[in-house]
Amino acid sequence: MNDAGPGLGDRSRPRWTLAVLALLWLATLAGAPLLGSHGLDLGRAFEAGTTEATILWQLRLPRVLLALAAGGALAVAGLAFQTLFRNPLAEPYTLGVAGGAALGAVLALHLSAGAVAAGSLPGFTLVAAASFAGALAASALVVGLALRPGGIETGTLLLAGIAVSFSCSALILFLQYLADFTQTYRIVRWMMGGLAVAGYRDVGWVAAWVLAGTALVLALRWDLNLLLTGEELAASRGVDLSRVRLLVLGAASVMVGALVAVTGPIGFVGLIVPHMLRRWAGSDHLFLVPACLLGGGAFLALCDLVARTIMAPAELPVGVLTALLGGPFFLWLLLVRRR
Amino acid sequence: MTAGAEAGGTAGGAPLLAARGLGWHAGGRRILGPLDLDVARGESLAVVGPNGAGKTTLLRLLAGLLRPSEGEVRLAGRALAGHSRKALARRIAYVPQLRPIRVPLTVEAVVLLGRYPYLRAFQLAPGPRDLEAVAEALRLAEIEHLRRRPVEELSGGERQSVYIAAALAQEAEILVLDEPTTHLDPRHEREVAALLPRLRREAGRTVVTATHDLNFASLTASRIVALKAGVVLAAGRPAELLEPTTLETLFEAPFEVVRGGERPVTLLRLGP
Repeated sequence: MNDAGPGLGDRSRPRWTLAVLALLWLATLAGAPLLGSHGLDLGRAFEAGTTEATILWQLRLPRVLLALAAGGALAVAGLAFQTLFRNPLAEPYTLGVAGGAALGAVLALHLSAGAVAAGSLPGFTLVAAASFAGALAASALVVGLALRPGGIETGTLLLAGIAVSFSCSALILFLQYLADFTQTYRIVRWMMGGLAVAGYRDVGWVAAWVLAGTALVLALRWDLNLLLTGEELAASRGVDLSRVRLLVLGAASVMVGALVAVTGPIGFVGLIVPHMLRRWAGSDHLFLVPACLLGGGAFLALCDLVARTIMAPAELPVGVLTALLGGPFFLWLLLVRRR
Repeated sequence: MTAGAEAGGTAGGAPLLAARGLGWHAGGRRILGPLDLDVARGESLAVVGPNGAGKTTLLRLLAGLLRPSEGEVRLAGRALAGHSRKALARRIAYVPQLRPIRVPLTVEAVVLLGRYPYLRAFQLAPGPRDLEAVAEALRLAEIEHLRRRPVEELSGGERQSVYIAAALAQEAEILVLDEPTTHLDPRHEREVAALLPRLRREAGRTVVTATHDLNFASLTASRIVALKAGVVLAAGRPAELLEPTTLETLFEAPFEVVRGGERPVTLLRLGP
């Protein structure tokens, strides 16, 4: 038996993977705020009142924290969707959940336009609530369309996700058309997905929802492991499929809704990260869920580091960068699966 | 418990599983029933019939995986619908037809998942009772040597044994198997055929199998039910049911039956 714990096969590799990811996560948290388009003199950054201190503590640190929380949430939601729907291409972006959240948020921004001050998003809770409602409505619609008496039809699920995404994009364009010039600019910029707006209050909100959602997914890990063996077998073992679907969709919608309200839709993190991590952490959700939380966070924070330095002093929205990476990755998955 | 049941049938004592007026419709079409069927405690019942006769549907209804369109199934006198999913899983274990699904878990992990109806959401690791059941299931299915192997690397026969072991770890008194020998070569078919009576004897399980392999049914069943177009055509011990006239009505093909005591051998006949 050597290191193997009771029951679930070799556990030393997933454990090592988790340890390495935890170190990477901490290194990102410590290192990423120090790097950027503007070089930081460390001594001055720790002195109160200096420009460097403002950059480090007020701009970069909350931004890195938001990236860690958002990336983790996207990866955990992507993982849960992939297992639940037995489809490697499922994630919040492809299933229209992110689109629904974005539509909800834009609608809230538009309706509360009078109260919006430049540079920040007041009424955060209204936008977040609308974004959450949008995420939940979109996922319920997509799953409802794909649900057959024999279970979820995964092909229909993805098509429904794409259709819902398109419809949400079209409605967002319509709202933009109605909006004035400044509003339009802000919506467009926000739709690209970025982490620049972060203040500590936003970070706190997002982190709280992300932790709650991840805890729920982790509590479902026996159910998710069983779903790997097929829906019919899972049901015969006592898994209440509709309950698990409802809980996973709820958890993912809460997480995605909370972060889309702040960051805008950021695509493909939920696709790339779980696939990369399965190779090292295995498929047992006991390890894979925390691995996705840590790995997804580090991945998005590092992407954001690249996005804000590669074209310095200009900044690339991080959503553009993840989409540039994710598109080819999606195609690669399609090709691999066909074989 | 098993001695009297060898004769099969439902004589004496309440049946463990009882279907009454059971029927199932899909898309406005009747797939199954209405039919009555009793499964006695400790018996090994084989459901045989041609493709599309409704064997899988019947098994899924008996296992509580489908809700009947009409009638009901009772487990020890209580309707299945009155049990929670987990409570049902502690009493009925189901092994579906083998599908080409890639399962990226080890044999041990899959068998452990048979313990799901006994696990709690926030339980970090399986308990000693769970590990005992897993070890016992691996032993009964004779796959202890495979425990660390990923399931997706195994042959069809080995995978079938893994799913049977997972169902055993579930420690349910009733085991329902859908086409357990499809895709298996004779050696692996023989292993499964030898396993089923052993489960009955050593572990006191009641077994219900669907198959269109008549010889497998003859080897493993204490009673056979012939299903055609969704209704019961005939039922009886292998020696009673496996005779040319019944089989020809059932499958619309000519058969020859070689008498082998209680376990006759059936042959498909080509000539007139």
